[in-house]
Amino acid sequence: MMDRYTKLQMVGIYAAVIVFLIFILLPFFEMFMASLRPLEHLFRSPYQFWSDDFSFQAYSDMWETVPLLGRYIFNSVFIASAVTVLTMIFVVPAAYAYARLEFPFKNGSLAIFLGVNMFTGAVLLIPLYRVLRSMGLLNTYWAMIVPGVAFLIPTGIWLLRSYLEKIPRELEEAAFVDGASRMYTLRRVVLPLATPGLIVVGTAVFIGAYAQQFLFAITFNQQRELQPLPAGLFEFIGYQDVTWNQMMAAALTGILPVMVIFLFLQKYLVAGLTAGAVKE
Amino acid sequence: MATLSLNAITKSFGAAKVLHDISLAIKDKEFVVFVGPSGCGKSTLLRIIAGLEEATSGSVVIGGEDVSAAPPVERGISMVFQSYALYPHLSVYENIAFPLRVQKMGKAEMDARIQRAADILQLKDKLQLKPGQLSGGQRQRVAIGRSIVRNPKVFLFDEPLSNLDAALRGDMRVELSQLHRNLDATMVYVTHDQIEAMTMADRIVVLNGGRVEQFGTPMELYHHPKTKFVASFIGQPNMNLIPGTVLGVDPTGVKISMNGGHEMVLPVDSSTVSAGDKVEVGIRPEHVDIGTEGLEISVNVLERLGGVSITYGTIGDGTRFCASLPGDAAVKEGEPLTLSVAPEACHVFDGSGDVLRRNSAPEIID
Repeated sequence: MMDRYTKLQMVGIYAAVIVFLIFILLPFFEMFMASLRPLEHLFRSPYQFWSDDFSFQAYSDMWETVPLLGRYIFNSVFIASAVTVLTMIFVVPAAYAYARLEFPFKNGSLAIFLGVNMFTGAVLLIPLYRVLRSMGLLNTYWAMIVPGVAFLIPTGIWLLRSYLEKIPRELEEAAFVDGASRMYTLRRVVLPLATPGLIVVGTAVFIGAYAQQFLFAITFNQQRELQPLPAGLFEFIGYQDVTWNQMMAAALTGILPVMVIFLFLQKYLVAGLTAGAVKE
Repeated sequence: MATLSLNAITKSFGAAKVLHDISLAIKDKEFVVFVGPSGCGKSTLLRIIAGLEEATSGSVVIGGEDVSAAPPVERGISMVFQSYALYPHLSVYENIAFPLRVQKMGKAEMDARIQRAADILQLKDKLQLKPGQLSGGQRQRVAIGRSIVRNPKVFLFDEPLSNLDAALRGDMRVELSQLHRNLDATMVYVTHDQIEAMTMADRIVVLNGGRVEQFGTPMELYHHPKTKFVASFIGQPNMNLIPGTVLGVDPTGVKISMNGGHEMVLPVDSSTVSAGDKVEVGIRPEHVDIGTEGLEISVNVLERLGGVSITYGTIGDGTRFCASLPGDAAVKEGEPLTLSVAPEACHVFDGSGDVLRRNSAPEIID
């Protein structure tokens, strides 16, 4: 075995992991604590870590403060899912082509894809706005889906291509010798074998879509009913006050569907990341 | 079942020429083995026959039909790959069914063909398993099963046994020979293992550096190697090659002084050499015997295998010499040994590696 560490090294590794986890998870913890506090608690001095009037009241009040909250959560999941499905429809054949076929400018175009990834959506907001306006897509779901797909295709191609390259070429040659067409081979041989890879890429795309929708939502969409959660959370900021506790509660509730999907897919993710590493 | 001919096949990858003008005529129902060291082009040649690789020039004719431009499936071939290339997500049944499903064959006939293949290959009780649950030999059989069901004219095998351990390889050799007899099919088999070539082939193609060195029956290659390369490639242990100089020539043979001081008159075709030429004398390890007069060698390592004792040593000038002596030969490591060599058993190669035809060699048994 390679992973033999001394006690001291193990302590060091765990300490590093704990520091990292605290750094990542502390905001979530604080969000949760804030969601439990009554609003007036939040402005009280000195800071009180715990008090008896903590409650889940905000979790029921939030639906009244922002009546469309349910819709926003649905929109978030819907937009992210639509982006994921559309992205995968484009990414699968493209990644397969990059993994297996020879064509002019293959490496050049791959590099350009990587280059596109270096621009955040923010840099391209104004041109994108004009494109979407001339296509008449502003203030529709498409306004948030189309740019999302466009920005995620390059990442998807890069991730899936490297996965598909690990599938032995001989399997496809065997299918070819037996008379199978490229599409038949892709459907019956390559994609079934790439399932873990597809799940990994699909998940990465979904996270990306979920994270980037805020920017597109606030710039390309004015329709309240179509807003995703991150944009909808603004409605907790009122004219008089900000109901921070309800906002935190809503944010946590919005993450919940994604968390559930993650727990469900976790074993595939781990399997996918290590697949092909060992000889069968 | 069909004949297979290759006509003036060449293949280049960019500037690198890997196959030089290869022409072969393989008979119907023949088992032909392509053998050679790695990088000799044997796999490329097989892939050109399969249609996985396109020849730069030349044509492939199967069953009298030029298939050079046809895709693999229309050539009437099937191929077994070195890595078996089984689909890990499909059951054994579905793996064997794959080519038939591509053809959209009816269920009843497909099932009948698969059952027949499973019968031949003893896979009947394994059909529902996944390839991952099978041993190496069983996987190999599944790969062969997949190639049988299509009833191809020509079977192609690309080093199919190289992933198996030695014992299993021996068993599979026998099974493949039997399969060839049962199916009565034309088979082309690529290997780097000369034992596989010798044991299974009707005829062997020895390839070296993208050229055919010799094409003949195993015994033809053994007794009448045309070149030094074939001579040293065929036979186990390898043939000993001792440099020497021609002392004199007469119609019945050539007198040669070998390095290390031994002189012999060898009954070979003497028409192309003259006194003073540098030659090499090839002596197979199994063609020497302990004697009182002949080659003096010192034994460095002795391997006793029971049936034979193999000695590794050197002759006077340091040229290595291996001898394979019957039984528990009376030899000790570190002691000198005198080996008698029959002149008729010696091969002579000229400076360019071509053989001088032996005048009295064994008849070739077909």
